[in-house]
Amino acid sequence: MSGVGAGRRFSLTRWASTGFSALALLTLLAIVSLFLWQALPVWKLEGTGFVTREKWFYRQDQYGAAPMIYGTLAVAAVAMILAAPVGIGAAIYCACFLPPRLRLGFKVAIELLAGVPSVVYGLLGILLLRDWVYVALERFDVLSGDSLLTAGILLAVMILPTLITLADDALYHVPLSRRLAARGLGLTCTETILHVTLPHAWRGVLAALLLALGRACGEMIAVFLVVGRQDNQWPEKLWSPRPLIEAGQTLSTKLGSSETNIAYGNPVHWSAIVGVGLLLLFIVTTVTIIGSKVGLLGKRHET
Amino acid sequence: MKVKSLQLFLSFLLSASPAWAEALKINGSTTVNLPATEAAEVLRNEKKMEIQLDTQGGSSGGISMLGEGLVHLGMSSKHVSDDDRKKFPKCDYKEIQVGEDAVALVVSKDVWDGGVKSLGKEQVAAIYEGRIKNWKDVGGPDKRIAFFNKEPGRGTWEVFVHWVYGDPKKAPQVSFPEVGGNEEGRNKVASTKGAITQLSSSWADGKTAFALSLKVGDKDVSPETEYIASGEYPMSRPLFLLSNGEATGTAKEFADFMLSPRGQEFVRKHGYLALADLKR
Repeated sequence: MSGVGAGRRFSLTRWASTGFSALALLTLLAIVSLFLWQALPVWKLEGTGFVTREKWFYRQDQYGAAPMIYGTLAVAAVAMILAAPVGIGAAIYCACFLPPRLRLGFKVAIELLAGVPSVVYGLLGILLLRDWVYVALERFDVLSGDSLLTAGILLAVMILPTLITLADDALYHVPLSRRLAARGLGLTCTETILHVTLPHAWRGVLAALLLALGRACGEMIAVFLVVGRQDNQWPEKLWSPRPLIEAGQTLSTKLGSSETNIAYGNPVHWSAIVGVGLLLLFIVTTVTIIGSKVGLLGKRHET
Repeated sequence: MKVKSLQLFLSFLLSASPAWAEALKINGSTTVNLPATEAAEVLRNEKKMEIQLDTQGGSSGGISMLGEGLVHLGMSSKHVSDDDRKKFPKCDYKEIQVGEDAVALVVSKDVWDGGVKSLGKEQVAAIYEGRIKNWKDVGGPDKRIAFFNKEPGRGTWEVFVHWVYGDPKKAPQVSFPEVGGNEEGRNKVASTKGAITQLSSSWADGKTAFALSLKVGDKDVSPETEYIASGEYPMSRPLFLLSNGEATGTAKEFADFMLSPRGQEFVRKHGYLALADLKR
């Protein structure tokens, strides 16, 4: 027999909790299948072209989401490249150097930052970041301050709190005995962190990175305000940095645009919008699930 | 059929059917929103009415949310098209005109100071289609043109393509950076060099954003009140409140207030033409 209360007697708690979890699961299934069903017309029209084609012209019934997938990944990549070193650095400082009381205070402050509504970050982005990027990049003849890069920098700031607090948890839970043993063997502070703490906690740190990445991919309103929302920006050279300083569109900003209102009532156009939603759902859940899995494995590994 | 079940599903999720709600819900155009916000403030104070104003999706948002029954009144800066009526056959759209507004082509300071004061229809079409990419080709400074396109579906955009192409459906599909509400359009033009966008003329402040005149025949017509009123300025549009059937109850009270002298004063205050100013 598994847990407590799993005996033969009827237990209301058990039945109710089973029922509620089933309800949650069914709701999720219902939403996903509704989305799949609603997205059918565009799959019939475009097939795999929906994710590989580069043109989105709804009045000509062309729906290629590739530039938006590129936009989403590019913005998230910029954010991760900028946030990862800063975030992990801050987490190391927090977990390994701060006295416990200060660490708690620091964590409270960081977690408050994580709770700031994203539209506030977006407005700050318009106020401070947009013009700064525009002036800084003026010699490259940029068209405006709205670009994938601007959105990426803004997202980096937004995902930092999540990244720091999760990575700090992972690093802090490396048993103290190991760290002390390492110091006792004569390793310096830096050596202890590089050779004992980080290797022991790498799964947790990786999970923190992936969960932050999930947030970066799904973020809408802040990106919406600074990304420029220009369709069909498929780069000629995929790895060239030039497209990053041009305006672009991500999956989530497409969903936030007024095109959803126009699409409503036109079955194919609507299903294309729902299809974009599905793609976004797919990317975010995949990253998040891998993130939580890695994190869980890490915890099991420790005990 | 698909759409209907989704609608059911959504309204179930949001449980936002106006039948149960007490507050008067209004959504739509950011242009109409300005005087409507002031009217709502007065009615909240004087009549203790509960009013929620929102501008999701601009005019199209107003039309579709009224069609779905999510709001009591829509705000729109364009006529309800036959397509809209077909999409929402259950909604009996009634347009209540509360004023008139002009759409201007608004440029940044460097373009204005560089000598671009007016554009003709051909030039505008060429810029919109990307055949002209530099201001020097229309008598301005040597600077790339940064065109911020108003989102399709916004009243402003429809007035613009109506003038250039005769019908929104004939407009070519282009890919420019897009802007939504009026604040966003003005700010982006103000802070970008070589910028141009379609914008409600009342938002051109003459310091950071400048309204171009349009060439009609061989005359340059500026979006000033007298030319809008006389119909000479070609890009003007009516401002509407929309109701489903004749407005009743609080919705009627709101519409009546907008048409009263005090409501019309709010319309004027934001740079639009009140109904009395129209002398066509």
